[in-house]
Amino acid sequence: MTSIRKSHLTLKALNESMIDLPAPKNISAWWNFGSLLSLCLALQILTGLFLAMHYTSDISTAFSSVVHICRDVNYGWLIRSIHANGASFFFICIYLHIGRGLYYGSYLNKEAWSAGVILLLLVMMTAFVGYVLPWGQMSFWGATVITNLLSAIPYVGENIVQWLWGGFSVDSATLTRFFAFHFLFPFGIIAMTLVHLLFLHEKGSSNPVGINSNADKIYFHPYFIYKDLIGFAWFALFLITLVLFIPNLLGDPENFTPANPLVTPPHIKPEWYFLFAYAILRSIPNKLGGVFALLASILILLIVPILHTSKWQNFAFRPLAQIFMGLLVVDVAILTWIGGMPVEPPFIIIGQIASFLYFFLFLVFFPLSGWLENKMLES
Amino acid sequence: MPQRFEIDYFVKMKFGDLARMRHIITFSLSPFEQKIFPNFFSEILPNTWRRFRGSFFRIAPPTALGYMVYSWGTNNHKESKRKKPEDYANDE
Repeated sequence: MTSIRKSHLTLKALNESMIDLPAPKNISAWWNFGSLLSLCLALQILTGLFLAMHYTSDISTAFSSVVHICRDVNYGWLIRSIHANGASFFFICIYLHIGRGLYYGSYLNKEAWSAGVILLLLVMMTAFVGYVLPWGQMSFWGATVITNLLSAIPYVGENIVQWLWGGFSVDSATLTRFFAFHFLFPFGIIAMTLVHLLFLHEKGSSNPVGINSNADKIYFHPYFIYKDLIGFAWFALFLITLVLFIPNLLGDPENFTPANPLVTPPHIKPEWYFLFAYAILRSIPNKLGGVFALLASILILLIVPILHTSKWQNFAFRPLAQIFMGLLVVDVAILTWIGGMPVEPPFIIIGQIASFLYFFLFLVFFPLSGWLENKMLES
Repeated sequence: MPQRFEIDYFVKMKFGDLARMRHIITFSLSPFEQKIFPNFFSEILPNTWRRFRGSFFRIAPPTALGYMVYSWGTNNHKESKRKKPEDYANDE
């Protein structure tokens, strides 16, 4: 008699992806970020839903509706803080997840990797439109700066921007549609997550040693269910510490001021998770060039599988690649710092060098290190 | 008679169909019948140093370089915002 979890049409899918799924025995904590991202998504959707019950997306009431949520709605302050800081944690998990993918050569599962890059873009778009909703100074001016970038597109740029705005500047029409997008995009993220998992489960997870693990797999349940639960507990600890003790650590004070189109803040900058891309955008003196560089900084991830030259899947036994990986992490940290600084010397030249290094690492250093290490292996 | 059909979601990844293994015999000791930290000074400490060497000297140099860039950049920018003391040297 076959168990119902193996015979029922829907339960079978759950069974084969979370219970009887063969998983490598030796996957480390770096493999926890996938499930953590699902937790982040669920948390954001749940808290977002409750916020949406009280938020109004008209420019005359948006800011005060957020104030109302924080002051009057039962535990509204908590839901809002979890949602805002949860977004930051979403990006912490995403960047660590991508870092794991780069270091351990997970990108060699090209379909899963490409679905992941699309997920990254969707999450970035969701976060961008979401930040506009409180209608603070940084919400308005950040939206103005970034949407204006589209005007750099030759011939049709201006028309596209005005079509997106729903008018001649970021105004009420923009806010209402951004609220609609912010509600809609997470469902696309859910769909893309299922596609991402589908491709992952075709070949199975990789592992820290980088060799085929088919001879030594264990059931996902209970081992990785419990390991993921421990990851959730750590995540909850860090998130709740931030939410309850330092909720404004990662925010901008400028966003406590209602949006004013007549007053430009001295330093317009996005949230921390976009600063590295912002630095790359500003490093090129030309508007269209900057837009291309901005897009390229994310889309370069799509060609990483093609640039893999090493005979090894991961960096565990590749000392040169490990050093370059360390350099990439530090370079992104430098870019994040520079993105938050004003466009003044010496930040300009540091940003330009760091931006160049970012692309050079992906396009030259990593493939070169693979080729060199192969040569060392032969000799 | 209605036709029944099965859907296999992940055809390739099922236990019993992963890898062909033959003649694998494993022996092990009960954890209750062995030392907790055997050969601490002769094996554990040298191995810890080996693992530290393998990762620290690949992560520390880029991190140190990054910190130096951050430190120099911050100080250089602060200096550029200051008035130059030599311009006011002869002021009363």
